[in-house]
Amino acid sequence: MSSKGLAKAEDIYANRAGRVRELKAEGKKIMGYVCAYPPLEMVTAMDYAPIRVIGSMDQPITKADTQVASIICPMLRSMLDLGMKGKADFFEGFIGAHTCDCTEKFCHLYQYNVQFPYYHFLDVPHIAHKASFGFMKAGFQLFQKTLEAHTGRKLDPDRLKEEVKKHNAQRALVRELYALRKQDPPLLSGSENLQIMLSLLSIPIEEGSGMLKDIIAEVKARKDGPKKKAARLLLWGSPLTETSIIDMIESLNANVVMDDICTGTRHFWHDVEMTSDPLDGLAKRYLDDLKCPRTFRETTSSFEEDQEVRFGYIKDYAKEWNVNGVILQSMKYCDTHGYEVPAIKAYFDRLGIPSLYLEHEYTMVALAPLKTRVEAFIEMIS
Amino acid sequence: MYFAGIDIGSTMTKIVIMDDEINAQVIGPTGAEHRHLANKVMEEALSKAGIAFDELTYVVATGYGRINVPFADKQITEITCHAKGVSSIFPSARTVIDIGGQDAKGIKIAGGKVVNFVMNDKCAAGTGRFLEVIADALGLKLKEMGELSLHSKEKVRISSTCTIFAEQEVVSKIADGVPIEDILAGLHEAIASRVFHMAEKMKIEKDVAMTGGVAKNVGMVKALEDQLGFPVLIAREPLLTGAIGAAILGKELVIKALEKGEAIEKGARLLEAASFFK
Repeated sequence: MSSKGLAKAEDIYANRAGRVRELKAEGKKIMGYVCAYPPLEMVTAMDYAPIRVIGSMDQPITKADTQVASIICPMLRSMLDLGMKGKADFFEGFIGAHTCDCTEKFCHLYQYNVQFPYYHFLDVPHIAHKASFGFMKAGFQLFQKTLEAHTGRKLDPDRLKEEVKKHNAQRALVRELYALRKQDPPLLSGSENLQIMLSLLSIPIEEGSGMLKDIIAEVKARKDGPKKKAARLLLWGSPLTETSIIDMIESLNANVVMDDICTGTRHFWHDVEMTSDPLDGLAKRYLDDLKCPRTFRETTSSFEEDQEVRFGYIKDYAKEWNVNGVILQSMKYCDTHGYEVPAIKAYFDRLGIPSLYLEHEYTMVALAPLKTRVEAFIEMIS
Repeated sequence: MYFAGIDIGSTMTKIVIMDDEINAQVIGPTGAEHRHLANKVMEEALSKAGIAFDELTYVVATGYGRINVPFADKQITEITCHAKGVSSIFPSARTVIDIGGQDAKGIKIAGGKVVNFVMNDKCAAGTGRFLEVIADALGLKLKEMGELSLHSKEKVRISSTCTIFAEQEVVSKIADGVPIEDILAGLHEAIASRVFHMAEKMKIEKDVAMTGGVAKNVGMVKALEDQLGFPVLIAREPLLTGAIGAAILGKELVIKALEKGEAIEKGARLLEAASFFK
């Protein structure tokens, strides 16, 4: 791969599998995983390149329909479909995880249909309370055992600490990149940002960090960034694996300047604390710091207090990135995000930040009815 | 100064020309063979108003066909336009329920401006199209449905919200020998309930104005009022509020620009057919 910086991110985004196949040809061992929950530090410490398994909004789902009904999560259906069509054959192993309930069953079906040489299913507690941390850590210890059994070598705790540093360094670069969208107009568009994030999920950590350094330098110096628009929006919701929805929003009088999605901030935001047993820091980071509606937070005495515990961090994003509206988006049949909408919408209402809920089909087409809504929303807030 | 508002809906194209009051209004079908002919509807409106196209100071297009109107200066969504149009006719209105051929929406207004809105998803349930399909199934004219439903003595419950399933349900009710007026009353109730609950997401406030072609159906109006528990406001021509709002928004933009001494940003102003296939 010869391109650099933004062009490199664009190339990888356009052909994720191409880069993964290149890596494999170079002798890299590739490990697939779902969601943002598997501890990637442990994966890289065993010399695997972790590549996230995602669906495609662009390719019609056909083979998966022979297995599952059409009234379930379209992204997981698409992932299964691509796997059944031989498009995941570069993975030497696959790490499944109990993230949302659908993902749990998907992992089982995926392994059954594609048959990876190594498969580990990670149990992730659904509520982040005290007892869960010991459970999470025990889950990571079990993961370590199966990894060691498969590779025939021990996971070195010092190497794991080095990997934590390496991953944290990438996270710091991602935060630095996001900071370039605090100004108005932002230096980077929401679509460009999503391309970069999706690329990072498709290449090894060192390569990603190198790409990020190039991009940050390039973006700081650029003169052709986004134009000033009437709306600065924060985008919340289910994972986006293509830029189509952000493209649609940014074709209007708006810039998407911040996000809370798992192909964005959720995956990269928080560092892992360096603890004497690295698994302690990892367990805390992946269970508690990582905020996704699949994890419930213990309830307190009032609805308002609960909202603060669950969504306070998004309020901070909204303030720091100076947004004047929030787009809450969910793909169809995403219970995890759909059920979160009433509480999060009420939270933004209370803060006086206008929000718009959009439900989409997880396709790149038929966006016209959504476009009218976004356009009216922008007219309303500006 | 003359201002025009053109509202190209999925079923009907509406044009209003106004200065301080409405000078001309035209309502024509949008249908496949007509959608290129928005310019013809405009020419008809101009001739009714007795003015030339160049005399229009500003033209605002709205509705789902707003994008490709080559003679408009600006596009504004139907949500903003309906709110403005309704506020000009009924200043007391706080909620608009608009049911058109393709979509249903609820709009909340404060101080003449949109503060919240909801729209039905990409589905015909709860829209004029739903009524058209059922009219076809029953062999009725769309216009007759509302009046006929008022004669119902015991309305039936229609449980399907999907247009296709509801059509099947209607056919089976006919086979059961249920009187048509009872079926119609049940259908109107089903649509009203769906639209009411959609709009209630943003907490409906009085007064409520009903707009769109479906507001011409007395059965639907009654069914919606039954859901709300109070009467709704309906303009003399409920199809026109979007076009009126568009014309007023154009006028406001021009006045604001003149006050500030700024140039008025105009479109290409080609009085040609609108293209939907660019």
